[in-house]
Amino acid sequence: MKQGIPRLLCLVAGIVMIVQFFIPHPISEKIFSESLRWVRIISAFALVLGVRSITVHHGTRIIRKSSGWGYSLVALVAMVVTAVIGLFGGVDPHATALLPTSIGGFSFHLQVLYANLMVPLGATMFSILAFYMASAAYRSFRARNKEATVLLVAAFIVMIGMVPIGSAIWPKLPDIAQWLLNVPSMAAKRGILFGIALGSVATSLKIILGIERGWLGGGK
Amino acid sequence: MKIGEILGKIDRRIVFGFMAIVVIVPFFFPLNVTGKVAPPSQQLFDAVEEIQPDSKPLLISIDFDPQSMPELYPMLKAILRHAFSRNVRVCMMALWVTGVGLGEAALNEVAPEYGKVHGKDYVYLGWKPGFAAVVLGMGKSIPETFPTDQYGTPLESIPMMRGVKNFRDIPYAISISAGDPGALTLWIPYVQSRFGQKLGTGMTAVSAADAYPYLQSGQLTGLLGGMKGAAEYEHLVAEAGYSEASKPATQAMDSQSMAHLAIILLIVLGNIGFILTKGRK
Amino acid sequence: MSFLLAVCFIFGIGPPEAVKACDRPNDAGKCILLSWKLSPDDAGLKSYDIVRTDAFGKDTVVGSVPSGIGSFTDESVRDNVRYTYRVVARQDSLRAESVASGIAVSRAQWFNKARVNVLVALVIFSFLVFYFIRHARAGRKLFIRRIAGLDAVEEAVGRATEMGRPILYVPGLAGISQISTIAALNILSEVAKKTAKYGTDLLVPNRDPIVYTVALEMVKEAYTEVGRPDMFKKENVFFVSDNQFAYAAAVDGMMVREKPATNFFMGMFWAESLILAETGAATGAVQIAGTDSVHQLPFFITACDHTLIGEELYAASAYLSRDPLLLGSLKGQDWGKVVILAVLVAGSILLVLSGIKGLSFLHVIYSFFNIS
Repeated sequence: MKQGIPRLLCLVAGIVMIVQFFIPHPISEKIFSESLRWVRIISAFALVLGVRSITVHHGTRIIRKSSGWGYSLVALVAMVVTAVIGLFGGVDPHATALLPTSIGGFSFHLQVLYANLMVPLGATMFSILAFYMASAAYRSFRARNKEATVLLVAAFIVMIGMVPIGSAIWPKLPDIAQWLLNVPSMAAKRGILFGIALGSVATSLKIILGIERGWLGGGK
Repeated sequence: MKIGEILGKIDRRIVFGFMAIVVIVPFFFPLNVTGKVAPPSQQLFDAVEEIQPDSKPLLISIDFDPQSMPELYPMLKAILRHAFSRNVRVCMMALWVTGVGLGEAALNEVAPEYGKVHGKDYVYLGWKPGFAAVVLGMGKSIPETFPTDQYGTPLESIPMMRGVKNFRDIPYAISISAGDPGALTLWIPYVQSRFGQKLGTGMTAVSAADAYPYLQSGQLTGLLGGMKGAAEYEHLVAEAGYSEASKPATQAMDSQSMAHLAIILLIVLGNIGFILTKGRK
Repeated sequence: MSFLLAVCFIFGIGPPEAVKACDRPNDAGKCILLSWKLSPDDAGLKSYDIVRTDAFGKDTVVGSVPSGIGSFTDESVRDNVRYTYRVVARQDSLRAESVASGIAVSRAQWFNKARVNVLVALVIFSFLVFYFIRHARAGRKLFIRRIAGLDAVEEAVGRATEMGRPILYVPGLAGISQISTIAALNILSEVAKKTAKYGTDLLVPNRDPIVYTVALEMVKEAYTEVGRPDMFKKENVFFVSDNQFAYAAAVDGMMVREKPATNFFMGMFWAESLILAETGAATGAVQIAGTDSVHQLPFFITACDHTLIGEELYAASAYLSRDPLLLGSLKGQDWGKVVILAVLVAGSILLVLSGIKGLSFLHVIYSFFNIS
């Protein structure tokens, strides 16, 4: 029963959506748009699950004084403060809201938090990639055999060819780099993509028909 | 310790420090090297160029957040400058909730440069939860999916949105995309394949490589890949005389050029170390 | 009308010709497509007005297009009503009107003929999958090649147990609707069974709230299935943040603080792939990755010990569980690829041959495979 109803729902919804894809009639469109509305509502409810999990996870860590519990405290305080400012301070800095979002000249409006915390923190995390890329490339790009050497040479050409300095070194480099991306690299990618596409269809079929039911929790 | 071992095992902190210097120095000593415009960037420029002025709007979707701002935000501004300078109307939306502020900031910065007015020349639809549901809903009806714009104005009372029912009324859509939901996971499979929408994208360099098959299959008409794509677009917009604004991506490309050369140098050093140690073994 | 014709005659503006109106195929109705041959004086024209006449003879101007355009889509029609159209060329106050089109009636269709090729492919592929599932059910042995990354799972769990350190499992950053996430969750179930057996801690940070609830349920069930429900720690499966890099920062922090002996990165990843994998490599963990995100594969291959490439990720649950039903579908996928290869070769040959004079009819067969 616990698995029977979700499997039946999955089967019906899956088949309806497949059939719908081939029917352009307004009745079919109506079913489609109605199901989309449901998906939107469910997506919004998922947020509640997330907030509950964050609270329970970090709350437990703080209560148990687990290693690094201070970080959990920061995470919880940040979540609560941001939510309170967003909910009661509003999203429009110029509109009046329940909660004041500035004291004197100091503003802590949602847009201010976003621009001064989210933006720099996010950009910092992304920029770490440049450093990690350099260290990973240095550590693992070794001409151990013929294949690795070919890979190395191709990587050099693409790396130089894809930046303006490449065309300053040799005007043909960007074209060769583009060819490497468009032909050999693309051929390999397409091969992988075919496999992925078929795998996706097969997995979808298995889920719709209840052959693959791991996602329901447990195997049986 | 032998030279081979030193070169083969440089501490990662030294690598990080070296990279930091290489990236920062060009900010103060620009190289001013202009590269060749790649065909996918030219295609995107041409597609925007083909849109009728003062007619149906260009749709731009903000599918990124502050993390990928350095690469994608200059693209957004360059595209907006291109559109506004040609009097092409812009309809903007966001699929990433953390990107809503970025779209708003870009419009607030670029629109006044060309004297463009909200509601007449551009509209910001804002964000809606549901991702696939949102774009599929737009394929059926944009006013039903976004009954009001970001600021609560009903769509039917916005002059430029009259007659814009669904994707059939969008001559070109651009997803500025940093991942999922974005061009590869939503706009190509749902919007382009299902509704035949003419589509272009701007992506982070790391994921742009994945978009090339779609460019060749014709599902994408134009692609800006990372900072390089943004710099190329800035160049095209400036060359056509549409904008004289500063070009942040072009400036940042100097750092990227140097970083690529630095990585190559590190790989070469690593390999010298590898060959020397291997020879000894 | 005669006045207009006279004006056209005097000033020499030729009207548009051959106006054709038809129901737009494969749609939900309420739409008629129009096309016409441009006026010979198109270059000097301002626009074309489209005039619709309904069954009662009432004329309505339904739209206007600039000169140079010879088509229009009328989406303001009602279904099952007979309409005719005229196109009027305009140059300031001058007009030249075409002859009326034939009758067009808009109707909603019950089948999208443009998607026949998709239907055919779906039927063939489903048949192959079901055939091999039946084949497997009958007890016939199916060969599945060795996948090193999956063979290493047992060893990796054993290593973590010996070292007394936890295992970190990242089920990708995509939502539950992505097939790669479902594949990652299936592998999680198998890994959880092993950690339950060995009594090793399993940490599962999630980016998506729905994926989190499914992951929680799966890990719990896996522990119950191997008879160790007491070992299950609910707080070890948790939601972190739906922000990509906030999630990456949190997982990096966990790697540095908890020093897991083994890291699994399975599912869909974006730019954070290398940030996660390189931090894991720095902590000395054994790392097994699997993704269908083609552009992240190089990063995982560089920084991880084993990487499942593309569909190997989907094959994992069949490989690890050895369930004949799942193995059968895997075989079906392989034959599906054979069909695709055959279509690719046939399509290439048809395209080449259709260029030869007299063989252009082959292009029709080629077009069938195109998804427009």
